[in-house]
Amino acid sequence: MTAPVVAADHLSKWYGQVIGLNDVSVEVGPGITGLLGPNGAGKSTLLKLVTGQLKPSKGGVRVLGEPIWGNPPLFFRLGFCPEQDAFYERMTGMEWVTALVGLNGLSESAAAEAARSALDTVDLLDAADRKIGGYSKGMRQRVKLAQAIAHDPELLVLDEPLAGMDPIARRKVIRLIKDRAARGRSVLVSSHILHEIEAMTATILLMHNGRILAEGNIHTIRDLIDEHPHQVRVRASDPRGLARGLIAHDDVLKLQFEDGAVVLETDRPDAFYGRLTEAAATGALGEIHEVSSPDDNLQAVFDYLVK
Amino acid sequence: MPSPHEPPPPPSTPVGPSFPASVARIYDLSFGQMLWSRRTVFMVLVVGGPVAVALMLRLLVSMDLFDAGGEIDGRPVNIDGPTIFGLMIWGFYLSFSVPLLGVFYGTSLIADEVEDRTITYLFTRPVPRGAVLVGKYLAYLVCAGLLVLPSVVLVFFLVVPLLGGSVGAGFPDLLKDLALLAVGLAVYGALFALVGALFKRPLLTGLVFIFGWEPVVIMVPGYMKRFTVSYYLQGLVPHAMPEDGGVTSLVLRVLQANEILPSATVGLVGLAVIVIGGLALAVRLVERREYVLEQ
Repeated sequence: MTAPVVAADHLSKWYGQVIGLNDVSVEVGPGITGLLGPNGAGKSTLLKLVTGQLKPSKGGVRVLGEPIWGNPPLFFRLGFCPEQDAFYERMTGMEWVTALVGLNGLSESAAAEAARSALDTVDLLDAADRKIGGYSKGMRQRVKLAQAIAHDPELLVLDEPLAGMDPIARRKVIRLIKDRAARGRSVLVSSHILHEIEAMTATILLMHNGRILAEGNIHTIRDLIDEHPHQVRVRASDPRGLARGLIAHDDVLKLQFEDGAVVLETDRPDAFYGRLTEAAATGALGEIHEVSSPDDNLQAVFDYLVK
Repeated sequence: MPSPHEPPPPPSTPVGPSFPASVARIYDLSFGQMLWSRRTVFMVLVVGGPVAVALMLRLLVSMDLFDAGGEIDGRPVNIDGPTIFGLMIWGFYLSFSVPLLGVFYGTSLIADEVEDRTITYLFTRPVPRGAVLVGKYLAYLVCAGLLVLPSVVLVFFLVVPLLGGSVGAGFPDLLKDLALLAVGLAVYGALFALVGALFKRPLLTGLVFIFGWEPVVIMVPGYMKRFTVSYYLQGLVPHAMPEDGGVTSLVLRVLQANEILPSATVGLVGLAVIVIGGLALAVRLVERREYVLEQ
């Protein structure tokens, strides 16, 4: 079995009377793992514990097999891109990344080379000699990412890395994250926007109220919510005829019409999809143009689990 | 061929850069930030005050509007340029500018990074947290030195030649004064680095110390004055205070009557203890403390 890159054992963190993280025991394996949850779910607290910024109130956390609190050398193997939009505004992107990667003990020239490479990776080389204070929000996110990857860490921890990025930059960052995983590096990435995570990985941890609500593959998590109705949207040439044909079965709980489509809820998705596929093949219920299920994206899963 | 999810090969964590190397890197990173900060602009005004006073004095003397003679307690008093310079060193710099610089920079070494939420970038690198503090402390020393020492040199050349004073004769004292001020910056900086690591409102605590505790306690006979920095600094004040009936000798007599002046050795030892002890304790506190950033 592969050793976990992050292992939390009954990990809790309190801020005075406020519970940030509540008795979390979880193992994060290699590859990309998405940390999902609404604001205040405890994602950032968990990431700060994983990156040794906070000391556990109770329990412990090991990163790459070692305790992280009070263990600075472990940061050779760890890169962190924080959520906060905070910089040394007067420095250029190049100066900033070079200075930070220089703290890893690299020589001045090696640090500059690593910084240049990282800035190139995040498509910021053209703006490398401009002051960070003049960067757009998306550029600031990317320069933050550059400082996290400049030393090519084994584990990259990203707190809301796509916030403020334009769609093209998002796509590039997502590709970058996937490329790292393909090269054997691990990534732990948080977001409260589920389709962002969905685009990166199927391995997720769902957080709510300081606890891990569910973990594993998105399909595993789907099994946890089988008791919840499954929503399907079918775009068809004759939505009313289609609805008449489907409502006759007791696994269809509810339906409503949209423009050119019908949205149904079923508590037995397998049986429903079987019938729908048959109807599409025979044309018995008219022409079926498109079938989509909101349940296929993480948003629906998340909504079900936190309700 | 390794699978995409196979962990990378390095099995162990490399050894980090040495403490001095880490300090040097943090110094490099912090110095420019500190020198061009808003705080420095304010401090330029603070150390510019004595220069403005010196210019005004020079103007008054050149216009014959300044009377160097006078009487205190019925005795004649003669004031010359070096005497005024000596009083300015103690009154403006050692009692005001240097402690103030120490408070403003020393208490903010880590606090500024926490407030700006940039501490994350320093504390998630393979350098000891203590090295972050020491590196920033050294950046403070150089930055504050660049502010104070040129101001002192300017004041020296503006004031010392006045009223019969000699620049050449006073030059050795200038060098001693510069050294004394550097020591003062080091001591106050270390003390307030500790205050910054200890207290949630370090600036207020520091201001109370330099403008409340020190001026009061230093005049109280007994051992309490040993809990001030200025007590030990007084032992190193280089200016000759001749028994000539002048203001400085009067001040000296008052101080001696209150058993305020320590010997130079006691002064040096006391200051060394404050610097080393303060920094060591501050490093220890920073290493152990967690910093929760405002969301």
